[in-house]
Amino acid sequence: MFRNWTKRPARFFQTKFRQVGAAGVLVLLLGGAVWALRASSLPPADFTFSNLGEIKTVDPALVTGSSEGRVVDALFEGLTRWHPENLSPQPGVASHWEISPDGLTYKFFLRPEARWSDGTPVTADDFVWSFRRFLHPETAAEYAAELWYVVGAKKYTSAQIELGDPVEVELLENPPGALPFAQGITLRGRLVGIQTGDKVQAITPLPMPPHDLNDSALGLGNTEEGPPIYWVEIDGELRRFQKGAKTPGTEDYRWLLYDFAHVGIRAVDRHQLEIRLRHPVPYFLSLMGFYPFSPVPRHCVERFGYPEWTKPENLVTNGPYVLEFRRIRDRIRLRKNPYYWDRHNVRLEVVDVLAVESYTTNLNLYFTGETDWIPIVPAEVIPELRRRCPEEFHSYPLLGTYYYLLNTARPPLDDVRVRRALAMAIDRKEIVEKVTRAGQRPLRSMVPTVLTVSVPEYVPQEGPEFNVAEARRLLAEAGYSGGRNFPPIDILYNTSEAHQAIAELIQAQWQRNLGIRVGLRNQEWAAYLSSRRQGDFYVARAGWIGDYVDPISFLDMFSGESPLNNTRWKHPEFDQLLEQARHESDPKRRLALLARAERILMDELPAIPLYEYVSQNLVRPYVRGFYSNPKDYHPLKDIWVDHDLKKKILPRRGFWAWIR
Amino acid sequence: MIVGFLVRRFVWMVVTLWVVFTVSFFLMRAVPGGPFDRERQLDPQVEANLRARYQLDRPIWQQYLAELGRLVRLDLGYSYRLGDFRVSEIILQGLPISVAVGIVGLATAVVLGLVAGCISAVRPGSLLDVSLMTLATIGIALPSFVIAAVMIILFVFLIPLFPAAGWGSWQHLILPGFCVGAPYAGSIARLVRSAMLEVLSQEYIRTAYAKGVDTTGVVLRHAMKLTLLPVVSYLGPAAAGILTGSVVVEKIFCVPGLGVHFVEAATQRDYTLAMGLILVYTLLLFVLNTLVDLSYRLLDPRVELR
Repeated sequence: MFRNWTKRPARFFQTKFRQVGAAGVLVLLLGGAVWALRASSLPPADFTFSNLGEIKTVDPALVTGSSEGRVVDALFEGLTRWHPENLSPQPGVASHWEISPDGLTYKFFLRPEARWSDGTPVTADDFVWSFRRFLHPETAAEYAAELWYVVGAKKYTSAQIELGDPVEVELLENPPGALPFAQGITLRGRLVGIQTGDKVQAITPLPMPPHDLNDSALGLGNTEEGPPIYWVEIDGELRRFQKGAKTPGTEDYRWLLYDFAHVGIRAVDRHQLEIRLRHPVPYFLSLMGFYPFSPVPRHCVERFGYPEWTKPENLVTNGPYVLEFRRIRDRIRLRKNPYYWDRHNVRLEVVDVLAVESYTTNLNLYFTGETDWIPIVPAEVIPELRRRCPEEFHSYPLLGTYYYLLNTARPPLDDVRVRRALAMAIDRKEIVEKVTRAGQRPLRSMVPTVLTVSVPEYVPQEGPEFNVAEARRLLAEAGYSGGRNFPPIDILYNTSEAHQAIAELIQAQWQRNLGIRVGLRNQEWAAYLSSRRQGDFYVARAGWIGDYVDPISFLDMFSGESPLNNTRWKHPEFDQLLEQARHESDPKRRLALLARAERILMDELPAIPLYEYVSQNLVRPYVRGFYSNPKDYHPLKDIWVDHDLKKKILPRRGFWAWIR
Repeated sequence: MIVGFLVRRFVWMVVTLWVVFTVSFFLMRAVPGGPFDRERQLDPQVEANLRARYQLDRPIWQQYLAELGRLVRLDLGYSYRLGDFRVSEIILQGLPISVAVGIVGLATAVVLGLVAGCISAVRPGSLLDVSLMTLATIGIALPSFVIAAVMIILFVFLIPLFPAAGWGSWQHLILPGFCVGAPYAGSIARLVRSAMLEVLSQEYIRTAYAKGVDTTGVVLRHAMKLTLLPVVSYLGPAAAGILTGSVVVEKIFCVPGLGVHFVEAATQRDYTLAMGLILVYTLLLFVLNTLVDLSYRLLDPRVELR
């Protein structure tokens, strides 16, 4: 104590210093908090909606997923676009089109007034370039396989080239004066030989005299194994290409692909685009309105490259809206595109896209007036919503099937009687009434029944009905009378309360109706997918949303060679029917073939359909131009807000309004 | 001495970052599932193209060296899942927001904790003490989403003081900040109470009372400083916990901070983003702990820095 007293002046100074320091830190921290909020208050948007999460990208070629779709569809426009009510293909960038009688050649006539958001015209060349980019292996577009209907497209994407194929060789150097991310100098020729180590596969006779092609010049004495050397005939000359150009006499290259000039996509003139298909595709016009097939601006992509070209300051689009800014996991702001050809019919100036993921948070935002549309609501509030605001809650059947996969490679599920017994012991009504509760319809066919609204000629083929007695009989016939000796199996599902509730209910139903015990196995998303792929499951939960309004979208994934077929189920007749349907140009006969295929699927039951998905939109009454449809597609182009009604409905909010 | 301490800490930090990097790198790739797994499984050829694009087709040791090389050049690469952004962009946008919420949370925790703790310590065993400590225990025990739900019902719907969620004004900070800080306020209150009780029983406090200082003076001027020691040592981990553990609150209030990124990057196998966030959090923990050690020295000169 005494010592402190003598030192007091110094201590006093130290204390003051520390206090000032502490105050300084406090000011800094608060300043930091304010800085984090800087410039973040915004003028309100005309229309705000929740998009359920941050989108992956705005690059149309790379997107998958409905959240991405809502934004990309507003930014870009393809050859056609879907009608907001009935989803029929409407003119987009193409004002009209011609289809050849055999259904194989499509001619699209582009409207001359179509513009990019920087004012440059959208031309047929833009589409050719965009489709080429879409198919290019370097782009690695996830939807690439959807464009493989086009002649030569699959060869181009998969870089599978055979002897005699026309090829294009992209060299490392860019053409002089090209933009930094442009395609390198590209040579066209014919593949005449492939040399791997000492082995040569070549066309005989070689088209040009191999005057200097003695063994040593070809490096054939050299046993060193390197990347294969491709012999390409270019303008009557033989040139050899190898990755890295390790072997003397070879040239390095970036890509060696099937020649795009032989892929069935070509610009006839500035405003005419021709696409040739391998077989008739009844939904091809619809497909061209699907957002991944939107054109991208070559001049912008080649200048900045991916992903820099997607930055708001660089991005050039051709749809109704342009990107104003993006704040990660917060919001995307869209503004009306002044160059859009149909700008007079775009009625919203500013649209905010919120990245709110939690269903409950979305509901809170909706009820505090901060968002005008939420695309999904928590299941437990649905009865309440139906009671309180029935005119705001829209539920409509979706083109999607919730189903259970059965691993037919694992006993006892390899026995069709067991599969049928399991299917017949499920009471779907109980599932939709007790668990999902949003108005889902029980489904006994793989193809959802709502498809018949658009394709009335198709008759979905239903599997067996709920019938406990018959299920027991079948199980007994398979040797598990009363569930005795039934091997332990389990239901695999990805972590989610809804999936768990359904799995528990089915577990109880099987126990009750068949007397079998079934385990539950819960895995997080990526692990669950991995288990499914590797066939490490007995029964697995699955869901499928159709990409296009056609039964094949729901049947194709059960074909023997489909990578999507996790059930290990293979049925030659089923595969054959699908193949026949693919090449059938008469729509009626085609649908009949598909129905026969579905009949087989529903008799064999490698998968048990449970219910049809429904949309669960909560939309403010002043939002107009919003329609329910089976793809839950609500283009921002057609949406508008009745401002007078909005003022009447939306009361002033906030503390002061409340006090009054 | 402080310089030497900081240099030693820095060296350890680099070593720690490297170890964390290596362990996370191999752990992430050992978990089943990859960044390109979708319910709609990709065509094998398309997936091969994707893997080549991200160089995942190379042997793992090559990937490791390449990524380590990038890290040394302070380049965290592009996110797999949010492909339009560099990992550094995502962190630069999210970190200040997480920090802002964290600061409000920490301020709430310290202020509430100190006040409640001191009041309880001055009147131990009183009704006030019991109720405050019960409240503190409830604060610790209740998960933050329950606190958040109660706060939303109270201050968003019943008394519309604050926005329900989102980001953009100071009002958006308050509820998330409070929910993040509440459990820590409880812990701090209990810490302060016990520390203060101990300090108050010491000789020099009796002397202070004997000199005629009133209770407020004794508590604030004489006892507070020693009481703060355990609080400060608790603040380091608490700050780290608030910054990393705000996932649930960030999700409920849709605060675009780093917490949600962290969880999603892990579940979606976004290798680059997950790695970036792991390293940032490691760095934060290290810096915060170093700051705590330094502040010890300031509060109690007897402490030696090693």
